[in-house]
Formats: sequence, structure tokens, C-alpha cells
Amino acid sequence: MSDPILSFTDVSYRYPDGTNALNNCSLTIRRGTRTAVLGANGAGKTTMFLHLNGILRPTGGHVQWEETPLDYSRRGMRELRSRVGLVFQNPDSQLFSASVREDVSFGPMNLGLVKEIVRERVAEALLAVGMAESADKPVHNLSYGQKKRVCIAGVLAMQPEVLVLDEPMAGLDAAMQTELTAVLERLHASGMTVIIATHDLDFAYGWADEVIVLQSGELLAHGLPAEILQQEDVQDELGAAPLVAEITRTLSLIGIDLRDKGYLPRSKNELLKAITALSRQEKTS
Amino acid sequence: MLIEQSAYTNRWRRVSPAAKGTFSLCGMIAAYAAAAPTTACGVAAILCAVTVLGAGIPPVRYLRVAAPALLFLAVSVLSLAVSLKIGATAGDLSLHLARTELERVAHVCGRSLGGLAALLFLALTTPLSDIISLLRRCKLPDTLLDLMTLCYRTLFVLSETVHETITAQSARMGHATMTRSLRSLGGMIANLSVQVWQRSQALHLAALARNNDGALRFLEPDYPDSPRAISLAVISGLALIIMAVSLP
Repeated sequence: MSDPILSFTDVSYRYPDGTNALNNCSLTIRRGTRTAVLGANGAGKTTMFLHLNGILRPTGGHVQWEETPLDYSRRGMRELRSRVGLVFQNPDSQLFSASVREDVSFGPMNLGLVKEIVRERVAEALLAVGMAESADKPVHNLSYGQKKRVCIAGVLAMQPEVLVLDEPMAGLDAAMQTELTAVLERLHASGMTVIIATHDLDFAYGWADEVIVLQSGELLAHGLPAEILQQEDVQDELGAAPLVAEITRTLSLIGIDLRDKGYLPRSKNELLKAITALSRQEKTS
Repeated sequence: MLIEQSAYTNRWRRVSPAAKGTFSLCGMIAAYAAAAPTTACGVAAILCAVTVLGAGIPPVRYLRVAAPALLFLAVSVLSLAVSLKIGATAGDLSLHLARTELERVAHVCGRSLGGLAALLFLALTTPLSDIISLLRRCKLPDTLLDLMTLCYRTLFVLSETVHETITAQSARMGHATMTRSLRSLGGMIANLSVQVWQRSQALHLAALARNNDGALRFLEPDYPDSPRAISLAVISGLALIIMAVSLP
């Protein structure tokens, strides 16, 4: 197991209006992993994310970076925010400039980097999200999905070690979701730790190394998707189970146990492949 | 939106904003310095021709963009030239055209046309974000420029929200009658005020998340061949001023 990169110890947060958004949450996120954070609306996902980036300071407990409690001084925050990049859900609430290139340069300029390096980083970040050709376009002429990618580029240009995305798939069509998944896959392959809040159980089941399930500000479950998402209380809270897991379970009930045959499908494609391979084996035997 | 469209698609989009700004400034000085109204109108015509022929702005679009300003100018000129004369007896009201004022009016009109043409040249050939970064290089106060940047960006977000709200209201018969329309408008304004506040909060969080601590800093756009374009702009701008001053 890799080293912890960010962890919560008994973190609680109460908003000034009295809402308890997080209650005694303790969890650890390890370097280089893909984590999906699940939970109903208002379960505390966004509040949790704002803690990862030091924007909110817990009213109880503490957040640690590599096992050292966060330093909430100006300098400490500067360092943390250059390591943890946070992408919010609504692109229109986080794009500052009307020019794509300018907006992506915002983060690295804030880090005080020299212009040549900023220019390089902006180009790299736009290339990473497949938006290099739109660098000189005005933001208001982009589609929703393109705006989302510009937001991600804006954070990537700061070269963070952890990328935190709040519901990146919301509002994207299937093709754009596939593209974004590919972008995330590339980033993960380059060693980045990726944390995503999502409502898409199928995506979480197929993509994540670990899932965190929040329920009314409390940690309901944390662990491997194949285990956690099969739990009854988790399924009750989320209102559903991943389709692939459901089909695998149903198949096992009618005597076709994919697990016994060595298949552990986590996505639609893996499931289809497993079924095809099994039916071929049946025919040959 | 017409200005936006031209600013991003014209032939001189990639020419250095500093050069375009210099030429536009020279145009304004020339229009102001012109001795005769006809010369000022001539300066306006040259600037207009440069915009349409040089930068390739379609003439119809140019006129549509200029129309509101021209209408405003026409009204102002009329009110300057024509005065209302009230006679001694009741009901004795006459319109009076002041012959002595006419020359002054013509002068103001000429200068305004020149100024308008110079500004339109810049606005139609240069996107606002380029103009803002040019102003930043001219050392305008950061607060002012940050406000411009945010206003320009949020203008589009706001107009999109307004469109969406009106569509949603119409779908539920919100604009069926005049009274309902008025009520819907009130509702939209109330809703937008709350949204503006929420969005400003969200923008603040987003700025914090990207390590911002005050002024908004962006990478300045890089334009190739700047010195050549600037010297060309200076030479042609100066020629325009000299022409305006020396012509009777």
C-alpha cells in the first residue's frame, strides 16, 4: 500500500448557520490512488473537498498532509493549494477571464512563476485536456463540456499532486464523459492522486480504487468498490447498486458464477467480454 | 455580440493590440485637433475605411454597431442646434435655429464622428481581454482592470441566465399578459440578485482554491511581430494627425 497523502482525523464542520456538514470523519487517501466519493445531495461531499484544499478549516479534529496537520497560515495555504488542485462543479462559477489561455494562466501566475514557465504550463495543461486548439477562443463560445475541461486545465497548470473534482461528469453527454474519463486515466497514469465526487455508481465501480460513502456528514463506508458497493446499508443510502455488480450477482444466482471462473468485471465492457469468453468456452466444451 | 463577433474574427485579430490601440488613439487626437468640421469628418471616413477595408469588417455590420451611437449623436446635435423660443404672449412658441451656433455644432459633430470611428476601429478589431491586458501594460489601476475582467466575463453568464429564466417563465405562461410579464420581470430581478451574490461567493472560493490573494493576474497574450506593427501604427497615426492639423 502506498503512503497516505491526505487524511482526516475526527473532522467535524459546522457551518455558521448551524448546519453540521461533517461529523467525526476519519479517513485516509493514499498517494497515487483513484478515490470516488459517493453520497446523496447534502451528504457533505463538497464540504469535505473544501477541507482538502484548506478553504474550510474543521471546527473539530484535523486534516493532515502526509501525516502532518495542515498549516493554515498564508504560507501554509499557498503550499497546500499548489499541491491540491480543486475543480468545482459549475464551470461558470470558476472561470475568471473571458479568454481560455488567460484563465488557465490564473493559477500558475498566482504561484508567482515566471512568464515563460507559465506559458509552457498553460500549453501543457490545455494539451492534457485536449483543448490546445481552443486556447485563443473566448470562454463564452465554448460548450459546457469544453468549459469543464478548461477548468481542469486551470488546475492542472498548477501541477498539483492531488486533483480533486466535484462531480466532473454532471451535465456531460456520454461522448464527453468517455473523453473526460480518458483524461483522468492519463493523469492517474502519470502518478497523480485523483479524488472525484460523483453520483454515477457505475462509473465509481469501474474507475475507482477506493470509494468513500458519506451519509449526512458521516462516513458510512470506505474501502474497495467491489466490497463497499455490495453492502446493503450502502445500497440503501445510495438508492441503487452498480449495474455490472447487479448483473454479476444475478448471473451467479442462475448458476453462472463469473467470479469462480476468474472474471471480476467492473465495467460494462469487462462484463460483456467475460460473458462472450464464457459462452465461447461453453461452445468449445 | 456583434462587436464580439468582429473582434474575434476580423483580419487583424492577430495584430498587436498595442499597435491597434496606438492607431486608435492617434485617430482620436486627429479628430479632436482637426481645424475644420469637414476635416474631422474626413478623419472619421478614413478610420471607417481602414476598419472596413483593412480589418475586413462587413459594412452592414459596421453600420449596425454604429447606429445607436449615431442616433444618439443626431439627437444631441439637434438639441444643440435648435432652441425653443418662448414669446411674450401666451401660446407664442417657436423653434429657433441659431445660425451662429451652427458652426460650433458642426465642429462637435465632426469630432464626435471621428472619435466614434476611432473607438469602433479598436472595439471591432480587438477582443476586450486584449484591450484589458493592453491597459494593464499602460499601468491602469489593478482594481479597475479586475472589475473590467470580471464584468466582461460575468456579462455573458448573466445574459445566459436571463435568457434561460425568460424561457422558463414563458414556458409557464409567465409572459402571457402585460401584467404577468411585469410580475415575471420582478421575479427574475429578485432571483438574479440572489444569484449574483451566490456567484460572487463561488468565484471567491474558486479564486482561493487557485491560490489567489488579491489582484487577478493573467498571462499577457503574446503577439508576433509587435515592433513592426507598432511602428506602422505610429507612422500612419502621425500622418493622420498632421493631415488633420494642416488642412484648413
